[in-house]
Amino acid sequence: MKKTFRESSKAGAIAWLLQRVTAVLLFIGLIYHFVYYHFISKGVYPWKEVVARMQSPWFNLLQFVFLAAALFHGLNGVWMVTEDYIHGKIWRMIIFCLILFVGLALFFVGILTIFKIQSVK
Amino acid sequence: MYKRTRIFDLNYYKFVGSWAWILHRLSGLALIFYLTLHIWVINTLTMGPEKFERVIQFLSSPLFKFLEVGLWGVILYHAFNGVRVVIVDFFKGSLVHKKLFVVLIAIAFVLWALGSYLLISHIQW
Repeated sequence: MKKTFRESSKAGAIAWLLQRVTAVLLFIGLIYHFVYYHFISKGVYPWKEVVARMQSPWFNLLQFVFLAAALFHGLNGVWMVTEDYIHGKIWRMIIFCLILFVGLALFFVGILTIFKIQSVK
Repeated sequence: MYKRTRIFDLNYYKFVGSWAWILHRLSGLALIFYLTLHIWVINTLTMGPEKFERVIQFLSSPLFKFLEVGLWGVILYHAFNGVRVVIVDFFKGSLVHKKLFVVLIAIAFVLWALGSYLLISHIQW
C-alpha cells in the first residue's frame, strides 16, 4: 500500500503557526472586549457613543486586526476539522471554496461597516 | 492508505485530552456562528440609531442574556483550553497537560461564575 501524506507535508505549517498567533491575539482582545462591552457597559449600548468610539483611528486599526484574526482563526479551525473527516478531493475543494467565500463575505461586511461608520453623524 | 479518523471510535474518549480536544472543536464551531451574528449586529450601526437600538433591545431580553451566559462559558472554555494547547505546543506542556487542563478550567470556571452573576444582574425583568 502506498502511503500518501501529501496534504500534511505540503502545507499547513504556516496556518498552524498563524492559528496560534491569532489565538494569543484573540485571547487578550476577546477577554478585554467581553469585560468592557458585556460587564462594564451593563449591556447598555447608546448608539451615539458606540459610533463615536468606532470613528477613532486607533479603534479602527484594532477592529481591523481583530476582524482579520477572528475570521482567520475561526475559518482555519473549520478547515482543520474538515481535513480530519473529509478525505475526498472534490469534497475538500467544495468545502474550501465555501469557507473562502464565507470568510471573504464576512470580511467584506466588516470592512464595509468600518468604512461606512466614518461618515455617519 | 492512511487510517481515517473515526468520529465514533469510543477508544478516544477515556482520556482528559480527548475530551478537551472534542470540546475545543465543538466550542470553536459554535463560536464561528456567533462571530457571524456579531458582525451582522455591528453592521446595523450603520443603519441609523433606530434600527440599532431595536436590535439591541431584542438582544437584551432575558432569553438572550442567558444565551450570553452560555456564550461567556463557551468563550472561556475555548480560550483557556487554547492556552493549554499553546503551552503544550511551545513550552513542553505535554508533560503536565492533564494538570494544566484542571487548573486552567478551574480558573475559567471562576471567571464564568463571576461573569454570569454580572450578566444576570443586568437583566431588566
